[in-house]
Amino acid sequence: MKSIEFAGEWLWLGNLGHAAVILTFATALLAVFAFFKASKEGTSTYYDWGKRFFLAHSFGVLSIVAVLFFLIFFHRFEYYYVWRHSSLALPTHYMISCFWEGQEGSFLLWMFWNAAIGLVLLRKQTDFKAPVMAIMAFAQVALSSMLLGIEWGSFHLGSSPFELLRVERPDFLQIPILGSIGIGNYLQVITDGNGLNPLLQNYWMVIHPPTLFFGFATAVVPFAYSVAALWKGGQNRSWIRPALIWSLVCVGILGLGIIMGGYWAYESLNFGGYWAWDPVENASLMPWLLMAAAAHMLLIAKSTGRHLFSAHLLIQLSFWLVLYATFLTRSGILGEASVHSFTDLGLSGQLLLFLLAFIGLSYWAAVQSKTLRSAIAYALLALLVLIPLVSMAIPESWEAHFTSIIKWAGIVLFALTLVGFIQALLKETKDDVATEDKVSSREFWMFLGSMFLILSLVQVFFATSIPVFNKLFGFKTAVPQEADYNRVQLWLAMPIMVLMAMGHWFRFRETPLEVWVKGLLKTVGLSLSLSVLLAWALDIYNLGYLLFLFASVYLISANAWYALEKKKKSWLNHGSSVAHIGFGVLLLGVLISSVNQRIITQSAGIGLAPEMDANGQMDAKGIEFNRENAILYKDRQGQASNYGVTYMGQRKGTGFDSINEYFLLNFVDTLTGDSFQLQPMTQNNPKMGLLAEPDTRHFLSKDIFTHVSYQSSMDKPEPFAGFKQDTLRMGETFTTSSAKLALRLDSFSSYPTAEGLVVQLKMACSNIGFSESPTEAYRYVYPQFKINTASGAFESAPVESDELGLYVSIQHMKILDPNPKAENLEFVIQTGEKKPVIPYVVVKSIEFPWINAVWAGTVLMVLGFAMTIARRLKEQRELLA
Amino acid sequence: MKPLHIALIVLAAIGLATVISLYGNTTQYVSFYEAAQFSEEHPNKEYHVVCQLDKSKPLEYNAQEDANKLVFYAIDSLGNTCRVIYGKPKPQDMERSEKLVLIGKHRAGDFYATDILSKCPSKYEDAPVQVGQVQ
Repeated sequence: MKSIEFAGEWLWLGNLGHAAVILTFATALLAVFAFFKASKEGTSTYYDWGKRFFLAHSFGVLSIVAVLFFLIFFHRFEYYYVWRHSSLALPTHYMISCFWEGQEGSFLLWMFWNAAIGLVLLRKQTDFKAPVMAIMAFAQVALSSMLLGIEWGSFHLGSSPFELLRVERPDFLQIPILGSIGIGNYLQVITDGNGLNPLLQNYWMVIHPPTLFFGFATAVVPFAYSVAALWKGGQNRSWIRPALIWSLVCVGILGLGIIMGGYWAYESLNFGGYWAWDPVENASLMPWLLMAAAAHMLLIAKSTGRHLFSAHLLIQLSFWLVLYATFLTRSGILGEASVHSFTDLGLSGQLLLFLLAFIGLSYWAAVQSKTLRSAIAYALLALLVLIPLVSMAIPESWEAHFTSIIKWAGIVLFALTLVGFIQALLKETKDDVATEDKVSSREFWMFLGSMFLILSLVQVFFATSIPVFNKLFGFKTAVPQEADYNRVQLWLAMPIMVLMAMGHWFRFRETPLEVWVKGLLKTVGLSLSLSVLLAWALDIYNLGYLLFLFASVYLISANAWYALEKKKKSWLNHGSSVAHIGFGVLLLGVLISSVNQRIITQSAGIGLAPEMDANGQMDAKGIEFNRENAILYKDRQGQASNYGVTYMGQRKGTGFDSINEYFLLNFVDTLTGDSFQLQPMTQNNPKMGLLAEPDTRHFLSKDIFTHVSYQSSMDKPEPFAGFKQDTLRMGETFTTSSAKLALRLDSFSSYPTAEGLVVQLKMACSNIGFSESPTEAYRYVYPQFKINTASGAFESAPVESDELGLYVSIQHMKILDPNPKAENLEFVIQTGEKKPVIPYVVVKSIEFPWINAVWAGTVLMVLGFAMTIARRLKEQRELLA
Repeated sequence: MKPLHIALIVLAAIGLATVISLYGNTTQYVSFYEAAQFSEEHPNKEYHVVCQLDKSKPLEYNAQEDANKLVFYAIDSLGNTCRVIYGKPKPQDMERSEKLVLIGKHRAGDFYATDILSKCPSKYEDAPVQVGQVQ
């Protein structure tokens, strides 16, 4: 077969990218080997080699990033990733989002952060540098293999971002038009890319993913320290400090990333809120909950040398959950469960393998016996090599028979590994479990608080994993709803908050009775009175909400009091109080903005359905529907609770924005007289259908959130009828067939264009006749026709107005006199009519009181984490100096 | 018994209770027939029905009459059709959807949906071949 020459492709760039991918994978493998040898033999030669390999690896990662960015910026649509995720019209800042819209890009982002963190770790001189770097490099092996894009039959190893469009989508070479210009010139017809998902074209989507992935990337460091400490065994506790610092970084950054995602959802999605317990949100919340618990365990371990078992266990579980989160969101298993559902690249097996490999690594490190260790190592190696080999070797027709055997073998193996790991960990840290915390010690309450965080995780884990269990065991359990989460998490958050409030008033090891009793009494007293006041002001009387309110007020005031009362060496030492206060403010904001939110467009509405009674409820059948949406007719003020809302019309966006239609809604607060405008939009996206994006007005004490649910243009238009022809001259009037509308021919204008002469008439239109109605009540219509200069063809451009219920078309023009004056022209005009349609829009508006507390709490929390991290870094510097 | 151990036992009990209550409250993906049966036993539980829009029957939504009422017919995986009443405006991608998940209760022959999740075929997948102008 003659090979086809494809013109215009920049293949060398893709080859460069491929080469960089292979370089990063190979150097990561070499770095693992060198660092492994270095930590076994303790020689610096191997360590120096490992360092070199890791530097080369980081260079490779940077090169991949640079090449991919270059391809996106220069719109090289011959590359599938670029074509799939970007388009010509995208502004620069959204081109950055294209980079990580796809799976390959987000793995690349993760790898980038991991490499950056690895470079920071290389500069630190700790006792565990070699084993820690070995594990960092191992993580990079796993991540870079996701980009390899090697295929053998049904077996895939990674997916490359540098795959060509014509390879991924061979149907593009079948386009009929290529027959005439030649298949080799296919790029001439690929003029634009598929574009970025419009929901992701949001400022927050530019910064949320990097923040979140930075958070994920930092989770590997405490994991690496914990594994390294177990691997090396012995009593060396110097791993705790760096692990603590990195776990704090992780909790702070991951927390920020999660809330940023919530803010994006609030700004661009229609569900009306920032948190929906969506599996994708839960996937990042799960490691966060455990890492927060782990950080507190490390704090105890640092101060008292105890609870090492819990510290190790939580850190490692947290990192496993990061991998599990990746598996959940990237494997396509969530399918129906999530609004996100990322595309499945057929790599779920590989992702699962990594999860198992890292769990195996934890087990390997926790076991101290040399023989067992090598047994685990060989089993792991066999697993990593054999599974892909077997999956390649087995013909597809056999796969069905093997699947269930492999599945159950996997489940048993997994359970055994888990039990083995916990047993080994217990054995390694047993001296520490035997001793006991005093009830008057800070560590006792901290430990308890961490356990409640774990309880919270347990619920989220089992609820989010339902699709996984369905797949594994063939269940048909439906995905839990928001309420299923809220019902439980409301009560689990309370003890967490109370313990976060109390904790600081206890000292490590032991606290004199009068000290902690006094501390608790005064703060509880203060918070009780504050919560009573707040409950009264906010009208909250439900028991569960009242307790939650008290717990969050207690959390804020107990920590604020502590920070004000205790004089510390440096203001940075108040970091934990600030973080705790921030968390309290956040949860208080969550409570108020959820419990007191009002759907202001909710009403009894007009035209009740027979199934509903006069209150819009379906009591007879025990079913209630809240009538949450209101219809607003153009230019008529509607009422939404205490707001008068007027739909003023709509406008099209400009430029890149031009597929968006903005609805201008004017709100007047009838209590205060203040008015403001909101412009929710809809986008008729050619690829995704109609999308709607809300608009929100932010006030200090509340937000007004509004989105369009339906608009009159979505109704099927009624056809025009009652057609009628009239012949008339300037100034003459006539009526439509039902005589509902009177029309008058007012003026005439014409202008030449390239194709011909365009003639336009201006016609006044009135529904009560011209003698009675004042001049300003006329509406004007402008029917046109065009005469093609070359062919002399006559082409009418009629007016079709749904709003007037009027159709006007110029059928013919007759020149009565060669003198070209308007009076000498006669027109044959066809009119049609239908019931006029008043444009309307169906909207839902929600008032969120004090939602700003959620964002303010987040900022405070992150500030608190930054202070604590700065303090711990200072401590470590002083320690090393 | 040490305080920590008591606390741990209590916590484990709460954890277990949480998980049991979670699974006690979940429902299954069901057919319309099952939804009707189960709704009689547990009138306040919401069931999930995976189905398709029945395009042979009318879909009624008249915003000017009632902006919060949509009535349509859906076919479940067993091929049974059921009238569905939904107390919200028509979802924008309803007609394009290839699969619907209805969440709600069954009463007297009708399914009252409180939520509809619609899956559109092209939403997250590749666009079909699009040909630009030859330059």
